This record gives sequence, structure tokens and C-alpha cells, in this order.
Amino acid sequence: MRTTTISDLARPSLAKGVRLQIDSTTGKSVLLYPEGIVELNETAHEILSRCDRRTVGEIVRELAEEYEADSEALGADVRETLSDLQRRKLIEFN
Amino acid sequence: MPRPYALLAEITYRCPLHCPYCSNPVDASVCERPRRPQDGGYRNGELTTQEWKRVIGEAAALGVLQIGFSGGEPLARHDLVDLIRGAREAKLYTNLITSGIGLDDDRLRDLRDAGLDSIQLSFQSDESTLGDEIAGARAHAHKLNVAAKIRAVGIPLSLNFVIHRRNIDRLREMIDLTEALGASRVELANVQFYGWAFRNRAALLPTREQVDRARDITTAAKARLAGKIDIFYVLPDYYETRPKPCLNGWGQRYLTVNPIGDVLPCPTASSAIPNLRFDNIRARNLDWIWGQSESFNRFRGTEWMPEPCRSCPQKEIDFGGCRCQAALLTGCAADTDPVCEFSPNRAVVDSVLRNTNSSNTHPRDWTYRTNSEPELTSV
Repeated sequence: MRTTTISDLARPSLAKGVRLQIDSTTGKSVLLYPEGIVELNETAHEILSRCDRRTVGEIVRELAEEYEADSEALGADVRETLSDLQRRKLIEFN
Repeated sequence: MPRPYALLAEITYRCPLHCPYCSNPVDASVCERPRRPQDGGYRNGELTTQEWKRVIGEAAALGVLQIGFSGGEPLARHDLVDLIRGAREAKLYTNLITSGIGLDDDRLRDLRDAGLDSIQLSFQSDESTLGDEIAGARAHAHKLNVAAKIRAVGIPLSLNFVIHRRNIDRLREMIDLTEALGASRVELANVQFYGWAFRNRAALLPTREQVDRARDITTAAKARLAGKIDIFYVLPDYYETRPKPCLNGWGQRYLTVNPIGDVLPCPTASSAIPNLRFDNIRARNLDWIWGQSESFNRFRGTEWMPEPCRSCPQKEIDFGGCRCQAALLTGCAADTDPVCEFSPNRAVVDSVLRNTNSSNTHPRDWTYRTNSEPELTSV
């Protein structure tokens, strides 16, 4: 899937059966799913903790403000992370 | 010291099915009798609900994030819902690995309400004639029914097929069934030879021709269903030239607690490696067993390795393969896994393959798994 296919209006959410949780051993975020664990980097954590009916556009805007980053470059990062997670069936779009 | 990520809770060896590929110990009566010296003085039989809850709490404190409830058939325990609730309270991701026998609407709702995250339902084939023959029980129709019920109550469903000589030619149909049942993930796991499967190896090992066809079918299906169904194909390791990275290394990420509370680096270790002493949860806490016990440290890291592993550039990749397989095939758990092309014992595997693939060898009958039934403890 190409990253450009994710629209600004798409609303990402965790796929069914996937849980976002803090790993109390490391203090880092992890995604838990049937027989698998993904440790999240900071970008993925910041994105996924905002996947609560917000749109991709809203998430990018918020992160750009918070990190005072260029929203175009950041938008590409966010889309890349989201499409990677979608490919692994860890998130879906509503 | 590494920390464990996942606990396999084999809460009972009791099972209503009789699959000849079962990896449980052939002497499964181990769950009812104090067989090994370290059991002396403890209550016979399966761990109690309270003992399992203690194990779950200690596992979470050690860093475990996921728990698989397995067996045997875990539904044979009447306290399963209670144990799953306990695991959720400890923030573990809970997975039920089941034949589906014993699941009805009420129990499914109870499991969902207790917080069960996911169910892995086993099938023996895509249709009932062969499926029931392999299971040694009329189970297939019930499983289809159960799969629909699982979807209806909203618990994520994955399927598991153990693949062997008798059903490997039906992979395409198994994948079709996965699609039809709306499962999001399917495990097509070539049989690994431990427990009953080791005893039945001559009947279960597929031919090279079958294995080659299976590889093509799964590769094509993976491409076709990408993004829709995750297909997880477990290779038939006898046909490989390098060993599987068993457990990602002994005592690195996983631990198993068996029905009587022995804590094992892998589920088949206690039957495959009889001369290694495994500590029991009734005598020690999980933290001590994981960190300090002889069994968990025996093959941890790379220090224990013999040649050719010791000087092999792959040693941090495949960890010398599987200790249980080495023990079963050479009699010594510290040997290089004989699947490895550099193992001095590779000839053992090759001779098994020659027998299976020679045109004048007919497939053998298998021995069905039986349940021993001395003084069943009800919990």
C-alpha cells in the first residue's frame, strides 16, 4: 500500500484484538495482539495514543504544533508509520 | 538477565480429542501422579485455581505481557473464566488455544466478559471426514459451529491447522475455510516431532514433493490475501538445512507452566529431556525459577554450545536450534540440532527423509493419543 493512499480525513483506530499498553518493565508503549508484541518507537506511540476518532489530518496538525515541526515532513512520517501498521493489520481506518 | 514476554499456561493435559500429532507427553498421566522426585510431598495432580492465580501474578511481575491458555483442552477446567479474569486484572493479553469442544454461547459470553482478547481455534482439516478421522472424534461440525459463535460474540478469531502427510494436500481448502469463517489469521503449522508426534513420525512426515507444493500454495495465498488474512506458515524443519531459532533462545523470552506446576523453558522439555531437573511452582516462585534454576540456565546464551555451533556465525541467529529435538534424535540435549547441515548427526534426519521419500515405503498407521485416566482431579 502506498502512503499517499491515506486520506487526511481517515480515522485510524486499533484493529480488533489489538491492545495498546505500557510495558511496566521498560516504561515504553507496546502493541499486544494474538501471539505478538510490537515495541513502539516514540513516533508510533505519539500517533497511536491519538487514534481515538481523530482524523489523520488532526493528528498531523497536533503533532506539528507540539513538536514545532514542519507539517509536510511530519505528515509523511505519520502516513508511513500508519501504513506500516495497517499492513501488519494492527490498525484499521474508519 | 533477559525478561520473559509470554507465558504458556498448559492448565490441563486432559483432552477430548486424540490427535496423533499432539505434542503433549506420551505419558500424560504425569499430570495426575507424582512421578518425578521433586513432586514428592506435594499435593498430587493439577494446580488449583489459587495456585494458577499466583503463577499469573508472579509472571506479570516478571515482565510477562501475554498469556496463552492451552493444554490439553483448557476448557476442560471449570475455572477457566476465573483464570482469564485474573490474567486480565494482571494486564496480560489473554489468548485461548482450544479445540472448541466445550464452548457454547453461555461460556463464550462469560469468556468475553472476563476480558478474553483472542481465540485460536484448531482444525484438523477443512472437511469433516478427514478432520474427524485425524481427531479420532466427531469434532469438525462442532468446530464450524463454534467458529460462527466466536465471531458472533465478537472475540477475534484465528485458526490453527497442524499440517502433516495426511492433510498437507488440502492447504488450499484450509485457506478457503479460513476466509469463509471470517478469521483474521491462520497458522499452517507443519507438525513438529515431539510427544505423540515423535512416536507417529513415520505416519506424519510429508514427502518432499508434498512439501514443495505446499510452499508454492502458501506463498501464492500470502500474496493474494495480504492485508486481509495473516498467514503464518511453520516450516517442516526436517526438510530445512538450518535449524529453527527455537524459542528465540532457551530461557530468553518464553516460559511454560505445565498442569502440575513444573516450569519449563518450552512445553516439550520435560518429556524430551528427562535427565534435566525442572523446578515446580509449588516449591519455588517463578522469579527464582526463571533467573536461578538449573533448567533455565542450562542452555541460556551461547556458553553451553558445542562445535560446530560455538564458532558458527549463525549462533546468535538460530541459537543452535532446538534442545528437545537434539535430545530426541541424538540422546543429548546439548548437541547441535541435527537438522543443521553442519551437525555431525545430520545423517539421522537424512535417513528419516530417505525412508519417507523412497517409493517402496507405504505410509504407516498412527497411534491415536490416549488420555490416561487414573484418579482425575476435578478443579
